[in-house]
Amino acid sequence: MARKDFLDIASLSREEVDLLLDQATPFKELFTRSVKKVPALKGKSVLMLFYEPSTRTLSSFEVAAKRLSADVIDLDVPHSSVTKGETVKDTVDTLQAMRADYIVVRHKMAGLPRAIARQTKASVINAGDGAHAHPTQALLDAFTLKEAFPDLSGRKILIAGDILHSRVARSTSRLFLKLGVEVGFLGPGSLVPRTGPEGITRFTDFDEALRWGPDAVYLLRVQMERQEVQYFPSVHEYHRVYGVTQERFERIRGEGIYIMHPGPVNRGVELCHEVMDYERSLINQQVENGIAARMAVLYWLKPQTDSEEVNRE
Amino acid sequence: MSFLIKGGEIAGEEGAPVRGDVLVEDGVIKAVGQNLEAPEGVREVDADGKIVAPAMFDAHVHFREPGQEHKEDIAHGTEAAINGGVTGVVMMPNTSPVIDSGAAVGTVLDKARQVSRIPVYTSGCITKGRIGEELAGIDGMRNLGVVMLTDDGDPVANPAVLKNAMEYATSFGMFFASHCEVPELSGPRALNEGKVSYQLGIKGSPACSEEICMDRDIRLAYATGAHVHIQHVSSAIGMKTVRWWKERGAKVTAEVAPHHLIFNEEDIGEYDTYYKMNPPLRTLEDNAALLEGLKEGVFDLIATDHAPHGEFEKGQDFVSAPNGITGLETALVSLHDRFIAAGEFGWDLIVKRYSAEPRRLMGLDPVAVEEGKPAELIVFDPTGETTFSRDFMRSKSVNTPFLDQTLKGRVDLVVRGREVLLER
Amino acid sequence: MAVVLDENAIGEAVATLVEQIRATAQRSRVAIVGIRSRGDEVAERICAALEEAKIEHDYGMLDISLYRDDLSHLAENPKLQSSEIIFQMDGAEIVLVDDVLFTGRTIRAALDAVTDYGRPARIQLAVLIDRGHREIPIQPDYVGVKLETARMDHVIVRLKKTDGEDAVELVTTP
Repeated sequence: MARKDFLDIASLSREEVDLLLDQATPFKELFTRSVKKVPALKGKSVLMLFYEPSTRTLSSFEVAAKRLSADVIDLDVPHSSVTKGETVKDTVDTLQAMRADYIVVRHKMAGLPRAIARQTKASVINAGDGAHAHPTQALLDAFTLKEAFPDLSGRKILIAGDILHSRVARSTSRLFLKLGVEVGFLGPGSLVPRTGPEGITRFTDFDEALRWGPDAVYLLRVQMERQEVQYFPSVHEYHRVYGVTQERFERIRGEGIYIMHPGPVNRGVELCHEVMDYERSLINQQVENGIAARMAVLYWLKPQTDSEEVNRE
Repeated sequence: MSFLIKGGEIAGEEGAPVRGDVLVEDGVIKAVGQNLEAPEGVREVDADGKIVAPAMFDAHVHFREPGQEHKEDIAHGTEAAINGGVTGVVMMPNTSPVIDSGAAVGTVLDKARQVSRIPVYTSGCITKGRIGEELAGIDGMRNLGVVMLTDDGDPVANPAVLKNAMEYATSFGMFFASHCEVPELSGPRALNEGKVSYQLGIKGSPACSEEICMDRDIRLAYATGAHVHIQHVSSAIGMKTVRWWKERGAKVTAEVAPHHLIFNEEDIGEYDTYYKMNPPLRTLEDNAALLEGLKEGVFDLIATDHAPHGEFEKGQDFVSAPNGITGLETALVSLHDRFIAAGEFGWDLIVKRYSAEPRRLMGLDPVAVEEGKPAELIVFDPTGETTFSRDFMRSKSVNTPFLDQTLKGRVDLVVRGREVLLER
Repeated sequence: MAVVLDENAIGEAVATLVEQIRATAQRSRVAIVGIRSRGDEVAERICAALEEAKIEHDYGMLDISLYRDDLSHLAENPKLQSSEIIFQMDGAEIVLVDDVLFTGRTIRAALDAVTDYGRPARIQLAVLIDRGHREIPIQPDYVGVKLETARMDHVIVRLKKTDGEDAVELVTTP
């Protein structure tokens, strides 16, 4: 794999996907050692550019980078909206001057990581851009589900929640489709776009969705605060109609369906409390696998060297 | 200034171009015919295989003066027009400050007289400051020749304000040009709501936003007897809306921009801001319907909505980058390359929709390549090529998807009266 | 290009190694750790012999790609494989096994990897082939066979399980 940046799932070939999924395993093996570090990225610098707050993704990347012996620098940019005067070019020029090898970007503007990647020699990793993509999340999701089902093709996964605003839904669904998994979307009609991607079954009724026979249910975080105009009346109604209520959980447990969630979890909204103690909840594995997946991505990306021209593709 | 244009195909509003010679003497078309001879001392211009057409007129351009001269100014904008075979333009008033009073109109028209080689007209705002609340200084603007009122860049959000404006200004013989959208539906005004907006993860503006407002503005015009001109129609239903109301006798005219005929949302690719404008590019079905509407005459004219922006500004992320692409220099060549060369329509449509009707809209006489008429014409080489490099373009800005592309066709000569404005 | 060691010669080299390691393994429990790739196959053969002789031992495999310092020489990174160290590293008597000992850099990386698992009591080195030209001060404790080579020569090792046959080729550069 001779790729500089990791921006989205769409640009990955099937070979690259298979490679990264395969290569997360050796990194996961390291976690059982007393010394979890390896010197693979010694002397390299990883810059964290997180414009949106995020403890779990940020720390996951930091741990991944540090376990590869890279130096991690958190630029601690302000979490308020980027001032209009500061353009991508200005930010990137600053970063270039610091000669970072890897830049991990999270921003609410879709497309920003790509714009940065075009202008810098560093390897840019998209840690989430607006509602567009979250490719490392998709990778760890696929890796996690593969642990439960080594042969993914033909499996079914139901992604439930606010699809419209979710970069996780977009990247994860795309990756699962690439791997031959059948994908269903479930949520309120106002949050599951009709102009969505092809090949995904759309449900607005949970029980109908369960009858479809998913092997795993992937719950997305749902927020009221995000909405300028309401998309659904209240969190109580959401939980009753679209959440994993106790009743639905009994059914899910009875059928041995796995549950996944990118975190952080909204107890009482997407799911009832009982789900957190479910044997077939993969939520904690997702967190652990996130570090391994991100280590694989950092290991395999190739920043441009000083002698090469910036590749403005 | 005299010359004989020999052997060209003379284009008019009706029918296919007819081969003939055109003798221009002292800025007037002295003769049009076959096998004309050049009088003593008059040079010949060989137009064999080329089109001789009336010069174009663009009823929708943004020259950014006053206030944003780093993007464009009247001097550069008019030179860009000439470069594209255009000898008359109507500026939009969303400058900084806006053109909402006689004083503002006077300033820009004065500037134009000083720096421009072609006549420049301006529209005026409907509301003061383009805010949408109070009426602008309409009479003051009218006295300086303004006939078109528009808050272009935005709709007039409050229909009551628009209705009153229509009742008031129609009695002066002025008409209204509408930029149509419902602000609450538009989101960040970045792109069409559909497959591409889902993929790119950006809230899109649905076509119904534009269509609802179009219908509203036309109904208000219908109720008040006003003439409303719908700007930059971008959707199939939008086209059908205009057609429906025309069939019912409403005083509505409409324009379509070359980019909405040529490009669609898929061209945005990976957040390419050079395909970002408002109203946005929509689907292939919309392209087809707009073309149909143009051929049928639903659209009275073609106008580019020439919207220059700096590279720096367009280099921002997709949502922050300003909306708009340039069009003056590329319109004629791109329409030739994509449609005339492909046999979709002929020069009669171009002459009618990009030369004659725009002038009529502004109350001007169309120009024609006819004996006795003032000479205002272009010579266009359909076999030539134009490469839209930075060096080629006269505009201050290069935000066009055609940048560095080579298209079929070339504007070779632009004449206005006694002046040869351009000769390649 | 010439085959310098055929199947028999390789068999003999393995036997030589086993003979030397046996003595150590009988005195105290060793952990035979093969270095991927091919070092693990050599290690397997050693272990098979120890098993036959009913000498108890531990076995592990080490992938040292993450410890290599010569990445710049490779156009593409080699694909990572997992290491497998299931015995207790602290206090263990390690015998690292590799197919070819050349500059010694691979072994240096392997030493880093091993010590990141814990603190062994002792680390020894067993190699099937020693081709000389060391660039760092590393010497094997057990050698199957010594091979005369020039610095720029290529030694290509093929083993049954990994490559389908047993053979060692020497490619000289003019």
